[in-house]
Amino acid sequence: MPLPGFYFPPGSARQTEAELYLTADGKYLEVRDGGGTLLASAPRRQVTVTSRLGNLRRKVAYPDGALFETADNDGIDALLTGHNGALARLERSWRLAALSLLAIAACTALFILYGVPRSAEWLARETPPSASRVIADQTLKAMEGKFLLPTGLPLARQQRIRDRFARVAGWEASGHGYDLLLRNAPHVGPNAFALPDGRIVVTDQLVLMAKSDTELDGVLAHEMAHVNHSHGLRSVYQASLIPAAIAFITGDASQFAQMTVILPAILVQSAYSRKFEQQADDDAAILLRRQGEDPAALAGFLERMELKTCGKTGCGPSWLGSHPATSARAARLRRAPAQ
Amino acid sequence: MDTRPLAAPQAPAASLRNTMRFEGSAGEYFKIWIVNIALTIVTLGIFSAWAKVRSKRYFYGNTYIGTNAFDYHAAPLRILLGRAIAFGFLLAYSLTAAISPKLIGLWYLLFLAALPWLIKSSLRFAARNTSYRNVRFDFHGSYWGACKAFILWQMLAVVTLLSLLPFAHRARDYYHINNNRYGQTAFQAEIPVGKLYKYYGLALLAILGALAVIVGLTGGTMNIFKPADGLVIAARIVAVIFGAVAFWGAPAYLGALTFNLALNNTRLGENVTFESHLSPVRMTWIVFSNILLTMISLGLLYPWARVRRARYMAECMTVVSPADAGDFQSMPMPAGNTIGEEVASFFDIDFGL
Repeated sequence: MPLPGFYFPPGSARQTEAELYLTADGKYLEVRDGGGTLLASAPRRQVTVTSRLGNLRRKVAYPDGALFETADNDGIDALLTGHNGALARLERSWRLAALSLLAIAACTALFILYGVPRSAEWLARETPPSASRVIADQTLKAMEGKFLLPTGLPLARQQRIRDRFARVAGWEASGHGYDLLLRNAPHVGPNAFALPDGRIVVTDQLVLMAKSDTELDGVLAHEMAHVNHSHGLRSVYQASLIPAAIAFITGDASQFAQMTVILPAILVQSAYSRKFEQQADDDAAILLRRQGEDPAALAGFLERMELKTCGKTGCGPSWLGSHPATSARAARLRRAPAQ
Repeated sequence: MDTRPLAAPQAPAASLRNTMRFEGSAGEYFKIWIVNIALTIVTLGIFSAWAKVRSKRYFYGNTYIGTNAFDYHAAPLRILLGRAIAFGFLLAYSLTAAISPKLIGLWYLLFLAALPWLIKSSLRFAARNTSYRNVRFDFHGSYWGACKAFILWQMLAVVTLLSLLPFAHRARDYYHINNNRYGQTAFQAEIPVGKLYKYYGLALLAILGALAVIVGLTGGTMNIFKPADGLVIAARIVAVIFGAVAFWGAPAYLGALTFNLALNNTRLGENVTFESHLSPVRMTWIVFSNILLTMISLGLLYPWARVRRARYMAECMTVVSPADAGDFQSMPMPAGNTIGEEVASFFDIDFGL
């Protein structure tokens, strides 16, 4: 059964109508024109046939550079039985597409829920302290001078905070070393953050906002919990794992791909961050209760901070933020049980 | 469409106008795309090279001029190798960044030195793996040529406060087009730089106008940490939308105009000319809505978006050739250098026209 199509001589764009035959012994593939004149012939094994893909025309390439093309996909598959078209069959089925979609969704969910956090946790554990130090130095260097200025607190006040800091650090049994850095940060406002190597930055603005030492204890315990769980390093790894995985799977790091994954990546990243904040709050609450202090002080402090930075309307929707909604955090802290 | 055997060479050379067509469908491509992603996940990423080739083949093979479509020939294994090498470089770079950040500068220097080579190899790979009617394309650009077009001209444009930007743009287009061949026949572009000045001027005006509107709406301050009332917030939202449209839209708009200009002034050999009439507004709209809809649909509309763009672009391009288009002959050539292209695409450098 001859297959109709077009023939191109070696290295030429000139096409003529022609037909493809398999010789009776099944060994040779021949191309003949309408009059039966032989245009090309070669042993079947030396001829390459493109694999089936959608409705694309199939190309039969001869070793000398001649080409035969046909739109008859079924015909050529029947002619050359044993030609592997398994992939094309998979690609034609809607049922398989739906199945693939489900599998991809499940893999993505597992990857986001377990894969990324677990591998980031493992990587953070395996990161040598010297590397944590370098990352912390880098972070600090980027902020120092621009956002972080030398503290303007009176020496006596500084000393009192350092004493509190040493005291709270003493409650900890985790064996981590901590260091307190006080900084004036007029552009950042009241804030505190932990660096991966145990240094904890507290801004003057936050110190001045605290009404009692207990409130400050809560903030310090919260930041120390971040250090204990390597939250800083883990978020660095989490932030790089998602784009890396997308680039790896799709092999597509183009502008379009980037634009379309930026928003989901930010949302996932914020969700991880909120989880870390909650964990730090929980740890702080346990630590405070154990020392006979009331985590409600930290709750009240958080509420005042939100009122100061975002006004009565609050700081925007919590599903976008790096922290859970302040009201939810405060409520959770207030009902935290003593362990 | 002319489906009859082509006329003999000595026949009178009447002109044939062939508008390009894209014959793929979103549904068909969706199935191919999703099954290939699933296979890529199952094989922990290895299959991605095959998936990429199938995807490219689908788009090339459905883009028709007259009776025939293009074809894409890259070998997945070579792409995989290039990808592995690019990944190795990325890893080495990240390690350097983590261990001794001072040495990062060296990497940038190395990257700058490699950039012309990456551009050259990527264009050559793309050309040599593309064919139409049994004849492959080829690319003859040199390292030094890429250096001039992509680095020196861009630097000159920056030094002259962007006043030479249209010339830099033309240098890029010339490197791209004038080094390309279809078989033995060279492409030749002669782009009037005056038109480029006009287009760039318009884009600049659009961006300046948008800036003025944004400053007017926000009073120049955009401190999102400060509390604000409803009206101010609404003004900011309008400003952000306006800014996004201007800063992403202006380049898309400019891209369509300059694409038309380049193609309309390109010849293949003596007789074949091209026409492109992309509507800048429609092209910008397609790019924007594609990104938006892909995002909203969690990626599910990505195949539809790609097909839609390919279809529109094909519809806007016409090839005008003498009736005997079969005279094109290919040149014997070795396969291209994949590593350049894959390294380039991994680092997200897009050299498309």
